[in-house]
Amino acid sequence: MASVLEFKNISKYFPGVKALDDICFKAYGGEVLAFLGENGAGKSTLLKVLNGDYQPTKGEYLLDGTEKHFKSPHEAIQEGISVIYQERQVLLELSVAENIYLGRMPANKFGVIDKAKANQMAKAIIEDFGLPILPATKVKDLSIAYQQMVEIMKAYSRENLKVICFDEPTASLSDAEIDCLFEVIAKLKKLGKIIIYVSHRMKEIQQIADKVAIFKDGRYVDTVVTSQVPEEQLIKMMVGRDLGDIFNSLDRNKNIGDVLLEVKNISSDYVKEVSFTLHKGEVLGFSGLVGAGRTEVMRAIIGADKMRTGEVYLEGKKIVNHSPKEAVDNGIVLVPEDRKMQGILSNLSVSGNINVALMDRNSNHLGVIDRKAEIEAARKGIEDFKIKTPSPDKKIVELSGGNQQKCIVARWLATNPKVLILDEPTKGIDVGAKSEFYNMICEFAKLGLGVILVSSELPEVIGLSDRIIVMRSLRISGEVIREEATEDKLLSLGMMGDDMS
Amino acid sequence: MSNTENKKESGLKKITGAIGGDKLILIGAIIAVFVLFTALNKNFLTLQNMINLLVAASLVGLVAVGHTYLIIAGQNDLSPGSLAAFSGVLAAVLLGKGLPLILAVVITLFGGVVVGLFNAWMVNKIKLEAFIATLVTQNVVRGFAYIMCGGKPVAIANKGFLEIGKARFLDIPLAVWLMLIAFVIFGFILAKTKFGRSVYAIGGSKEAARLAGLNPEKIIATCFIIIGILTALGGMVFASRMNSGQPAANVNLEFDAITAVILGGVSFAGGVGSMGGTILGVILIQAFNTGLIMVNVSTFWQYVARGALLLFALTSDYIRKERREKELLEASMRNIK
Repeated sequence: MASVLEFKNISKYFPGVKALDDICFKAYGGEVLAFLGENGAGKSTLLKVLNGDYQPTKGEYLLDGTEKHFKSPHEAIQEGISVIYQERQVLLELSVAENIYLGRMPANKFGVIDKAKANQMAKAIIEDFGLPILPATKVKDLSIAYQQMVEIMKAYSRENLKVICFDEPTASLSDAEIDCLFEVIAKLKKLGKIIIYVSHRMKEIQQIADKVAIFKDGRYVDTVVTSQVPEEQLIKMMVGRDLGDIFNSLDRNKNIGDVLLEVKNISSDYVKEVSFTLHKGEVLGFSGLVGAGRTEVMRAIIGADKMRTGEVYLEGKKIVNHSPKEAVDNGIVLVPEDRKMQGILSNLSVSGNINVALMDRNSNHLGVIDRKAEIEAARKGIEDFKIKTPSPDKKIVELSGGNQQKCIVARWLATNPKVLILDEPTKGIDVGAKSEFYNMICEFAKLGLGVILVSSELPEVIGLSDRIIVMRSLRISGEVIREEATEDKLLSLGMMGDDMS
Repeated sequence: MSNTENKKESGLKKITGAIGGDKLILIGAIIAVFVLFTALNKNFLTLQNMINLLVAASLVGLVAVGHTYLIIAGQNDLSPGSLAAFSGVLAAVLLGKGLPLILAVVITLFGGVVVGLFNAWMVNKIKLEAFIATLVTQNVVRGFAYIMCGGKPVAIANKGFLEIGKARFLDIPLAVWLMLIAFVIFGFILAKTKFGRSVYAIGGSKEAARLAGLNPEKIIATCFIIIGILTALGGMVFASRMNSGQPAANVNLEFDAITAVILGGVSFAGGVGSMGGTILGVILIQAFNTGLIMVNVSTFWQYVARGALLLFALTSDYIRKERREKELLEASMRNIK
């Protein structure tokens, strides 16, 4: 009998985020079920609940009718549930066989490990998979694709394997390697395993998945048979509304002014020789893969990372920012990517967060803070940016992610900046708040601010930017104007190049 | 909720709301300790003993003020015991060499600043964990205390200096006044000023504070300097009371101060707590220590008891943290539909 995995009313809350909302559905053995959804839709969170990394706030899941409650991924693996992650979990210094049988190497009665036997057993599995690798090879000597295969073989080597999940497995694979992976998945499918496949790539989903489960804002939308539903419809179900409409209806700034910011040839420990200009009233997008150096350029500009070479001119005047504080004083502010660790001041209230950059203005010469002035500034920020909070004294961590982000934006706008840098501003916030942010960005441009938008979401960066700079391997690899920007163009500029053959 | 209901509750709620549930528990614990030791020794709850208790608390109190800042900022300091002894010896040596009182005091306080700067340098520039960095200082400074006097206590003859330990104002010893003034001034700074706010901010995430335009290194250095000066001051008052600078004195001072601060509700994780809690924590730990002595618990068992008290403080800190996180999650569940 084929296995059945059932999710029953699973909800998962984090402070400020409802990551999963009452998830109910079933997955069946011998089928590939794809999880489809935007970033932050809850796919990865659900996998983490399934493999015991997270504990659900509410609800339960059943494997073959038995309720399961794993306290750790280790427990889940022992009960036959494995997740293959984007980041490899293999131990590079160990051999293929040692990785496959990690923690359960065959041993004699004295507990001495029997490497020969492990190699023999591993060889059988490698042959099953039809791979040209040797059991004794160190994993660090394998390509990334084979390293991933080792992980899959590790899961496969457990006799009780019932569920195997792939979280964006093809993110760093070439086409040939993807074909190889798909063959393996087909094999696992034939063996009656439950296969869950998480990916953004529509093409792959249509190629490999029998069914698609669609998620949106932490909710399960529906499961459909892949072959029966056209791609456009899938996207519509996943996005919920046509994002294109949102972008088309934006009231964008049409009067782009003089050069505001000129960055010449800057390098830090993390980026190399980056130059670009930003105009008044312009929204300048920064695209590229995660790790391409986009965030690091911004950090170098505001003095968060040390600038090794290069110059920054603001309104024609040379400026040097030794610290983020000096950047703020010069009128350049950054809303960081990692809201939780770098954006919010988690121990302070909403008011404390909005006012942190105004403390000099709102205190006397002894440094005593004028509480009334602060509350007034906080109220203004709350009103201007429609921050949903019961009061300015509420702790910021109690707010939803989108409202926390608005507090950071309110903090900076109160300082009357000239350049506003937004690094992944809509990451992990819901679609409603996203469209609010998009409108806000247009407003800022109209006010004459130069806005830099760093974003991994291509529709977002294309929909908002007047010009888009693409980065690859710590350098700028191209620039595209709005009228010519397409997802394919940005992707090829961001991916093509030295580290791919 | 109707208005009448509101009014009925408001009386008690005003009090509990203003003080906070955790502080009420702490006050309860202090009362329990007082009742317990008074039952075991009726001399415990006398005016004279209470004053003695406060005098004994004064050194711990001054150091605890510094620890309140440091721990809220996510730092720590294990060197105050050594620094207090060093300061007592230094003042005694300087006075012995015939330096004027004021100069000896100022130089000793400056010694506290230097030690604070050294600690801050290790934390900020060599990126050491404060716990380990200040362990270095603990040993080095204790070593210098011994080196300076050849290992023997240095008697103090300066009348003015000895007066520090004896002087009273409104029948309350100067040592106690110094502690109270430190509580008030530094409590005000922590609660009402830019600097105080910054201390809380960096206790959450240093990087977030830096990107928000604050200067965490400077704030951390200032906190280390504050505890250095307060410890040096406390060390001198102690030496004055003892009539000598003693290089072996004040061992485990930081232990009591940290216990007091954590008992008072400052979170070991940083970012949370207040000076009011520290005051209660200092009273509790000193009552505990004095009580143990008065009911003739052996010195050896006192160590065990203090360890137990710190464990209790850390456990309650953990429970408070778990509860905060739970409340936060529940608040999120209410706010987010």
